[in-house]
Amino acid sequence: MKKTWSAIRIAFFVFAAGLLHHPGSAFAKPVSYVGGLMLMQENDAGGHTVGLDYTVTPRMAVAFHAQYHIRGDNFTMLGPQMNFLINRWNAPRSQGNIFANVGGGTTIDRNGDMRPATWTGLLADFETRRLFVSYEVRAMYAPKVERSLWQRARAGVAFSPVDYTKVSPWAMVQVDYRDEKHLGLHVGAREPKMEITPLIRVMYRAFLIEGGVSHRGKLMFNWVKQF
Amino acid sequence: MRVIAFISVLLAAGAVNAETITASVNGMVCAICVTGIEKSFQKNPAVDKVKVDLETGKVTVDTKAGATLDDATVTKTIVNAGYAVTEITRASGR
Repeated sequence: MKKTWSAIRIAFFVFAAGLLHHPGSAFAKPVSYVGGLMLMQENDAGGHTVGLDYTVTPRMAVAFHAQYHIRGDNFTMLGPQMNFLINRWNAPRSQGNIFANVGGGTTIDRNGDMRPATWTGLLADFETRRLFVSYEVRAMYAPKVERSLWQRARAGVAFSPVDYTKVSPWAMVQVDYRDEKHLGLHVGAREPKMEITPLIRVMYRAFLIEGGVSHRGKLMFNWVKQF
Repeated sequence: MRVIAFISVLLAAGAVNAETITASVNGMVCAICVTGIEKSFQKNPAVDKVKVDLETGKVTVDTKAGATLDDATVTKTIVNAGYAVTEITRASGR
């Protein structure tokens, strides 16, 4: 029953992303090309996120973030976010980046009560045509709802480097570590902190899709479309 | 007959003025990301075709007949997409 409900929630958010075009979180680069619009959707053990990023300058994008948080008190969090490219290193065969983001908005709980929320994060990545590594940390605070620190590390290898006009599959592993303090209905509730997810990522032109199952049996499914 | 010959000369003159610009670019490793280079150039009315080659690290832009792109425009387009240009070469008369 829980897995069916989880699948229905995922389907709802995938569908809603197509209609509402709400923005989301960062498993893709949060600053793309000037004038570029990136739509992304993420589903994992932490919740479901929908996002839209618009890159204004080579170093800054504006976004709208909406997340349905399924750990602890099951709340929705939404609001605008700013993404910044702090530094980038372009080499002949590699690229490294450091990004930061800051956002603020509201949480909406099951009773419809709204409370302010704020979040901020850092993302560092390095990649070649064959290898990818990244590390992300994000802090969120919503009074009387939750205080959390979430970290994610990823590493991946390409099956083989191909031209971007061809399908490009990658094998990756993701490690999430969540340190959450529930301040609302589930004060003191304990959630598993670490989740390890092997996944397959496939890129084709301006589209990316990835999926996997964590060591706790939680489904993960994300996609990105760049316009 | 004279009209056909005149139009042929005009078309030939236009074809001679088209240009192929090749930029050597650093940082092009992410497949979904480099589509930004393609989309950025395609917005420029002077561009006929653009090709991004991840293996060689080169972006090749064919301009339309009679159109041109200066080095500053080529560089700015690629930098705004998130990459660094190291060299630009040109070949005309295709």
